[in-house]
Amino acid sequence: MTKISRVLESLQDMNREPSGNATAVILAGGKSSRMGQAKALLVFDQEPLIAHIARALKRMFAEIVVVAAPEQELPALPAKIVRDEVAYQGPVGGIYYGLRAAGGEFSFVTSCDAPFLNTELIAYLTAQISDYDVVVPFWEERYQPLHAVYRSSVLPLLKMQLERDELRPVYLFDKVRTRKVGQDEIKTLDPHGLSFLNMNTLEDYQAALKRWQQGRQEEKEVVAPGSTCTVELFGTAQLLAKAKTVSLSLPPEATLARVLSSLAEKLPMLVGRVIALEGTRLASGFSCNINGLAFVRDPSAKIASGDRILILSADAGG
Amino acid sequence: MHGFHGQLLHIDLNCGKSSWVPLEEARLRAFLGGIGLGTRLLHDYAPAGVDPFAPANPLIFASAPLVGTGLTTTAKFAVVTKSPLTGFIGDSLSSSHFALELKRAGVDAVVITGQAPSLVYVVITDHRVEIREAEHLRGKSPSEAETIIRGELGLPGARVATVGTAGEKRVRFATISNEGRHAGRGGAGAVMGSKNLKAVAVFGHQEARVFDDHRVKAIADALRERSLGSATDKYRNIGTVANLAVFNRLGALPARNFQQSTFDAADALSGESLAENNFSRAHGCASCTIRCERLFKALSGAEQRLEYESLFALGPLCGIDNPEAVLQAAQLCDLYGLDTISTGGTLAWAMECAARGLLPEAGKLDLFFGRPDGLLAAITAIAERDGLGDFLAEGSKRAAEKTGQGSAHWAMHVKGLEMPGYEPRSLKTTALGLAVSPRGACHNRSGAYEADFSGAVDRFHGDSSRGAVVAATEDFAAVLDSLIICKFLRKCFNDFYAEAADLLAHVTGWDYSAAELRRAGERIIIAKRLFNQREGWQPHDDWLPPRLLSEAVSTGVAQGVTLTAAELKEMIGGYYQVRGLDEKGFITEAKLRELEIEKPPLAGETHAQR
Repeated sequence: MTKISRVLESLQDMNREPSGNATAVILAGGKSSRMGQAKALLVFDQEPLIAHIARALKRMFAEIVVVAAPEQELPALPAKIVRDEVAYQGPVGGIYYGLRAAGGEFSFVTSCDAPFLNTELIAYLTAQISDYDVVVPFWEERYQPLHAVYRSSVLPLLKMQLERDELRPVYLFDKVRTRKVGQDEIKTLDPHGLSFLNMNTLEDYQAALKRWQQGRQEEKEVVAPGSTCTVELFGTAQLLAKAKTVSLSLPPEATLARVLSSLAEKLPMLVGRVIALEGTRLASGFSCNINGLAFVRDPSAKIASGDRILILSADAGG
Repeated sequence: MHGFHGQLLHIDLNCGKSSWVPLEEARLRAFLGGIGLGTRLLHDYAPAGVDPFAPANPLIFASAPLVGTGLTTTAKFAVVTKSPLTGFIGDSLSSSHFALELKRAGVDAVVITGQAPSLVYVVITDHRVEIREAEHLRGKSPSEAETIIRGELGLPGARVATVGTAGEKRVRFATISNEGRHAGRGGAGAVMGSKNLKAVAVFGHQEARVFDDHRVKAIADALRERSLGSATDKYRNIGTVANLAVFNRLGALPARNFQQSTFDAADALSGESLAENNFSRAHGCASCTIRCERLFKALSGAEQRLEYESLFALGPLCGIDNPEAVLQAAQLCDLYGLDTISTGGTLAWAMECAARGLLPEAGKLDLFFGRPDGLLAAITAIAERDGLGDFLAEGSKRAAEKTGQGSAHWAMHVKGLEMPGYEPRSLKTTALGLAVSPRGACHNRSGAYEADFSGAVDRFHGDSSRGAVVAATEDFAAVLDSLIICKFLRKCFNDFYAEAADLLAHVTGWDYSAAELRRAGERIIIAKRLFNQREGWQPHDDWLPPRLLSEAVSTGVAQGVTLTAAELKEMIGGYYQVRGLDEKGFITEAKLRELEIEKPPLAGETHAQR
């Protein structure tokens, strides 16, 4: 399975879940003792780090829950805020309070000090929870419990752990149906494991900022100036995306397949319905027209900058 | 016999008698059912040159082999007669429970001739036929009449096809309605009204036997599964109203009586906007998994079905930009039993007349483009044949002929049937399909638009090669309309002819091949043309309205595109050649022999004499 098909299939699976079933939980109540200042409020990409993370997750999850320490200062967030009843019980406490507050059947749990969230990996992990209680990455010989998906049904076990002072999440994994996602799988989506890079010291923070700026620069370089197209959505595509048009930045010499894969990344709800699961062609009931003039079926058709790509039903019967 | 009952019911309203007539297997095999069987029976029962409103003009309800098999989308029936709008074959389809009960009544077709002395309705239950007085139903809407008749019969399971006021008053584009659906095009409702026949009620217990139940069920299961895939996405998720925004964007949405190919208010009227602002619920015919029907809620709270064609004809075509007004207009058409396309087409013609200072009465009714009050008042006037409405109830062709003063230039019809919502100048294959269609300007009997919307052809340029494309889509549609399978299922087949022939073989027990099925499709089309030819068809009848051949597309992406007479002629020539017709479009003896088609009786001959 190729990387893109794996991701798109995951996104598709995720889309099949009602949006109300999934929550993202951000644990913000750590001590930040080595950092010397509250990690949640570190400025990252011109905003507090926790706001940066919440904004990224808000694109994927209908509900965001932030678990903070009692009295902890937080910026305005598009999230439900809950406070640890007992401060500093470690990750198990945070996960427990977060899941308890979550409205969904399962939650993706992360911490407030991991700025390089990879939405493709998150979608991949989330898509697999249907058969498990926990889906947890295993990277560089370690479980990554603060980048994992938990079903709310594990709450009683977490509570028991807290009562027994078993504050390491890994104790949970042996007791429930746990999907261990291996390094090879992860690498297809996040080759360098940036998803698990968190910041504990000022040096970590500065290195992360530098890495972030480098990434932004690389992004700018791969997008040729002025190479854009506008996708016009009709019918089902419009209703699903709740948008009539979408602008896409494309590399030079982009093809229809590239347009569709970009569109799939931007509007994952179209995958499996309007865009085929493999991500570079339309599903069988749909067709594509360029600028209202030519119908195009060949995925290798070249798209010129400024083109308007119409995605519509292939069936004009009425 | 399997798949059929092997008999038709002939009811003569002149004398009130009925008879059961055997249908030979060879004829069913050659013409299948539905539109094909109805066409063949029209040959048999319609005297040459019969006036469509004469008692002798047969009104034929035809069932089909797949009806009642449980296959998705097959609960359909055909109504065939000589059209009062075109003077040629008038064939239309409707669907749902009436289709199932018609077949359970134990007939493959009902042929109604004659004229009752007063308004009546006919009840067919198993082997019994009863004719009941119906004066108390005069003026009742189709849905009211259905409810009353079912109550009177004491048979909640009975199903009723009925005409509204428009049919009673012989409006030439009146429909026959059942369960909110209509045998819509060509004025079969007016023929029914001319017979003083308000309704036909059917109820029975006679299931047609299926040859291989097990295999048919397996095919039905597979088709049901496929019917829920992306091939039917549009129909399942938004309905045909989705066409409006797309056609507008592609410069293929006729507006203001084909003076424009886009509509400024398309956004407000689009299927997407309706889905967001007015959606009430989805609905489906009996035995259908696709459920394409969309009911929208008007401000009054009333629910109204709306299809693309009704939306186009009562909206952009008449310059109406208010969804509420369109919903109300569609509601009135349903209430009176009017074909929305011909209603909109005729009114758009009148609106243009009014704009040009013709038809002073139209001005008095405020019948101008974009005026909802004028539109609604005129619909009622047509149904009641009141004042100007009486004149417009004749359809745009006759109205233009009487009005003169160049108004035929903007009478947008083919053979008298008003044009559907596909702009022929920017859809050249469609242009040919509309021009040569035996029933007039029809988008359903060929589906030629499919080529234009697929990129398989250059939609802005037509040549002789389009003849083969249109002929193939006509044959395909004829088979679908005769088996009967809804066209919205058509893309769920991988190899249609092979799969459909296999299906037919398992329903009927016939050894039936894909090639035989293709040939049946061609035979049905030629038989329709043969009927028209006998009724006076001339080459100039396969043509398009003058506006389309003299004015360029004025708006949208297709602005400046023209359709010339030479271009249309070349396409038609290609079509005649592929069809094996002579160069003027007449059917040759060789073609009749090849397809084993009997000629219909000529003037002076009767069915019995042949």
